Amino acid sequence: MDKFLKETFLNPIFKNNPVSVLVLGICSSLAVTVELKGALVMALSVTIVTGLSSLVCSLIRKTIPNRARIIIQLVVVALMVIVVDQVLKAYAYGIDKQLSVYIGLIITNCIVMGRIEGFALNNKPLPSLVDGIANGLGYGLILVTVAFVRELLGSGTLLGYPVLSAIGYTNNGLVILPPMALILLGCIIWAQNAIMAKQETKK
Amino acid sequence: MNTNSNTYTIIYTTVVCVLVAAILAIVSGSLASKQQANEKAETISQILTAAGFADKSEWEARGNDAIISFYKENICNAYVIDAAGTVKDSLDTASATIYNLSELKKQNYSVTDAASSQDLALPVYMFKDSTYVLPVYGAGLWGPVWGYVALENDLTTIKGAYFDHASETPGLGGKIKDDPSFRAQFSGKVVDFTDVKPFAIVKGGAGDKANGIDAISGATMTSKGLDAAINNWLAAYKPYLVK
Repeated sequence: MDKFLKETFLNPIFKNNPVSVLVLGICSSLAVTVELKGALVMALSVTIVTGLSSLVCSLIRKTIPNRARIIIQLVVVALMVIVVDQVLKAYAYGIDKQLSVYIGLIITNCIVMGRIEGFALNNKPLPSLVDGIANGLGYGLILVTVAFVRELLGSGTLLGYPVLSAIGYTNNGLVILPPMALILLGCIIWAQNAIMAKQETKK
Repeated sequence: MNTNSNTYTIIYTTVVCVLVAAILAIVSGSLASKQQANEKAETISQILTAAGFADKSEWEARGNDAIISFYKENICNAYVIDAAGTVKDSLDTASATIYNLSELKKQNYSVTDAASSQDLALPVYMFKDSTYVLPVYGAGLWGPVWGYVALENDLTTIKGAYFDHASETPGLGGKIKDDPSFRAQFSGKVVDFTDVKPFAIVKGGAGDKANGIDAISGATMTSKGLDAAINNWLAAYKPYLVK
């Protein structure tokens, strides 16, 4: 059981990463990766939403009528997303102002529904919670990596503090536009495939 | 129990919906006052930034309470004018009453539509250092743009400005908010009602004019939207400004 939990937690972060391997949740990773701060909040929000909605759906998995299960899952996810949005609006207003559109879009993030359908409905609450959180973290890892590069090269800052701009760097406008997120994402997938191919041959 | 029967499915979904609705009502109700306070402080900090008291990032660092108490200390008078430029109503300065975004949006219909201009109720914020702050509101490229223009005591010279937007492209249209050098262009310019446009945001060369500034390159539609917003609202304020 312990090993199962450990694998449930570690797999989505690297080997089965929802973004770079399953290529889910691409839309939002293009949109919220201009600045590191926004990406961190988005990563945290998705982690909370996937974790909690997987937990709730797993708790009620035996009672859910099979024919209406997608609707029930959607309602649970929507509930979590709205609660996260409301809490951010009350306690992190500045960040919510930047992210509110994308927070709403967590509902349509394939990772959330995918994990509920694919994992939580067939597993006990604890592994489901772990799986949800790990997938959120895996998503967040990619998001933060892309945002790190985009903020550094696009604005010359990190978390709003001048880094490259302090030494006279001219901002690269292309990095700020969405296509650059796709290019970076492609590079990440390339690097990961290369590393995994190497591991395969070692075995 | 048969979880696939129609009765079970209907009862189950109904119960889930009612439960979820109840949870949302509780969450929304318990956080509403804090959310409204945030929104109000945000609007006031934008007004104060336009009036040149401190930079926007500094207000964010100071927090909601400091923003509101600063406003209360420095506001001289706040009132609402009608289409003829006469004072129609006053805004309570002791409780820092201001026009929020939805109110500006509502007024924008009267500003752009001459037929409904008799409903016009535009706010004027007058500070103790004789700075007048007027709001503007309009459509950018992807969503609304709005902001505040601060005028000196002569009601002609622009002291400063602050703009915000709902969803303009970061790094391009978003510069109306994020680029301090764009906003800095406004200071010292004038509003000239004898010109075709009292104030112009156009590409190339407008920077030399007394009543114009350079638009943002790469953000034509946002610049045009902001230009329209400023001119529409200034036209509505004209009877008040050129008395």
